Amino acid sequence: MKSTEDMEKFVADAKPHVTTGDAMDKRVLDDSFAAMDDTRAVIKPSAAATILASRAMRLAAAAVIIVVTGLLLVRDRHTPNQPAPQPTAQAPARMLSMMSLRTTYQRGGWDALDRQFRDTLNQFGLASSSLSMQQLLEGSNGS
Amino acid sequence: MIDEKMLVWRFNRGSKDALRRIYEKYKDGLLALALTLLRDRSLAEDVVHDVFVSFAATTGTFALSGTLKGYLSMCVANCARDRNRLKAGRDVGLEAAEVVDCDFDGPLESVARREESRRLDDLLACLPYEQREVVVLHLHHEMRFREIARSLGVSINTVQSRYRYGMDKLRSIFNSTVTK
Repeated sequence: MKSTEDMEKFVADAKPHVTTGDAMDKRVLDDSFAAMDDTRAVIKPSAAATILASRAMRLAAAAVIIVVTGLLLVRDRHTPNQPAPQPTAQAPARMLSMMSLRTTYQRGGWDALDRQFRDTLNQFGLASSSLSMQQLLEGSNGS
Repeated sequence: MIDEKMLVWRFNRGSKDALRRIYEKYKDGLLALALTLLRDRSLAEDVVHDVFVSFAATTGTFALSGTLKGYLSMCVANCARDRNRLKAGRDVGLEAAEVVDCDFDGPLESVARREESRRLDDLLACLPYEQREVVVLHLHHEMRFREIARSLGVSINTVQSRYRYGMDKLRSIFNSTVTK
């Protein structure tokens, strides 16, 4: 007499072992490959599949992802601490020039400005933009 | 498992070598299942053929949720059930059923195991198809009741009761033949 457990063991152990024949293998594989080809012909390659198709494209895609991620991280890190944009300070020579022009205008109006331009041109010529700060100050001091 | 996932991944990318390896790996077990369920070698071969051709056509979109063996076993079981329904109309009874052939290595062991398999085949043939299906899937293909229930589209209680009735009947028939 067999118990249920024994019966289960008997059924499991007596599992039939069969093997397929060469003819069956050939028939199944040939038909399966044909079905596979038919399906592949219908499926349009997606963008991801196209990228993954070649090694060079995969590397390029990975590089782009890394660069973009890096840029986003750097931007996110700097954005919260960055102060609101302030008016940029002018270069010292330009600031001095502006102050000088303003003082001249306050003292003598357009005529005084006109005289200063003329004196500057006479003194330094057309190459005044290449002069150093010291030369400019020397000129404005009249030395 | 990783090897199986890799095979499926390669299969989805159109690798015929992957499909061939999947077939080589599972063909004998699937043929045995179909043969046990249908008791007809040519019908069983047709079932395995149809299952693999259908499987091959899913390349690129196939998504594996459990094990590949379980998936293919259920495909064979479903296909065998359809074939069995078609066959039922023209079936002439157990006398016409084909005895499952077994291939074993070693002459003495081969004879003993072949005899056991033949005996089991005779016993399983006495079960209704639904009970035989559950018993074979659970005991020969190590599928869980939950998995079988999900694939068959029935409740787990139904699967468990089919299994229980099937085993009781097998035990009863076996014991009656031994005591005779």
